[in-house]
Amino acid sequence: MRRTLLSLALVLALGAVLVVGIGKVASPPELLRSYFASHGVEETGSVNLVSSIYLGYRAFDTMGETVVLFLAVAGVMALQGGRQ
Amino acid sequence: MKNSELVDIISRKLVPYILLFGFYLISYGHLSPGGGFQGGVVLASGVTLLCLSRGVETALRSFPVGRMGLAESFVFFAILAIGILGLLLGRHFLGNFLPLGQAGEVPSAGFIFFLNLLIGLKVGVGISLILFALLREE
Amino acid sequence: MAQYLILALFLLGVWGLVGKHNLIKKVISLSLINSALITLFVYLGSLSGSTAPIMLGGLEAPVVDPLPQALTLTTIVIGICLTALALVLVARIYRHHGTLDIRRLEKAGSEPPPAESEAAGEHGSGRGPTITDGLDSRPTDPGEDGPA
Repeated sequence: MRRTLLSLALVLALGAVLVVGIGKVASPPELLRSYFASHGVEETGSVNLVSSIYLGYRAFDTMGETVVLFLAVAGVMALQGGRQ
Repeated sequence: MKNSELVDIISRKLVPYILLFGFYLISYGHLSPGGGFQGGVVLASGVTLLCLSRGVETALRSFPVGRMGLAESFVFFAILAIGILGLLLGRHFLGNFLPLGQAGEVPSAGFIFFLNLLIGLKVGVGISLILFALLREE
Repeated sequence: MAQYLILALFLLGVWGLVGKHNLIKKVISLSLINSALITLFVYLGSLSGSTAPIMLGGLEAPVVDPLPQALTLTTIVIGICLTALALVLVARIYRHHGTLDIRRLEKAGSEPPPAESEAAGEHGSGRGPTITDGLDSRPTDPGEDGPA
């Protein structure tokens, strides 16, 4: 019972702080969007702009993410794999 | 895991089409919404449906763990090799060194197509391995 | 308007993480917080356009910002890895303690561990490394650690 009341108080306090800030959100600046819309297709050759970003302009982050996936698979198989 | 007949019958008809749809999403990643990550997760979901309906042993006969681990390590080294090849041929690391074809056709983006295939294979195999380890019964 | 709903989702996740006693519910709340943050990023990016960022020929409607969508793809995959590792740890806790209730786990953790012999720790039950490997229950002798 104590844990429920404490967690409710924490959530209400967090909500009161965040609801003031989240009412003031604005869209991100227009510079990058207009650059991708005008130069994205001819520089990478892909019509899908999202693919051209994470495989063309920022392919290094994708390589880092494959390392994270590899570590997660190794960790799960080491802790649970067992018989094989 | 109790084998339900309804899940067995439906998954027998549905799993090949799910795998085919996953390959379609991966290979058309530069022309329509989709790409490596999305297609890879659809591939893994097809393998999971096979696991849930027939048991992990049957799925392991079609997708053995040793070969999938080998495929995953191979993909990482292939990405590194492509990146260093980009360095050697005059551009930055992981730079595009294949000619860009006509925008709108399948073999157009050159470099992005191969990276999509590799990423799709890696994500599909990785999530399938995680689910094999979690669904295994003792 | 949508940002308040996303805030409600985030607060729901925080309440589930702190206020629930079951470990599986805590893991589900972690995934809920992840989903709320990803939706917030994509929503903020979608405010500056009206169609999906696929540049086929045709009508010249302003496209949505593609950068947050590309960055949150990696975030989604990292969320999958986090949930998988958390579930594996929860499975090992259940196998070792037999319960998923965090009140009983806290009570069991504050008692002194029973004296285990080294042989029982090494070849436990053929299951591989257990949680209590390396835990020493013998009282250490301060005279052994000094320079001999």
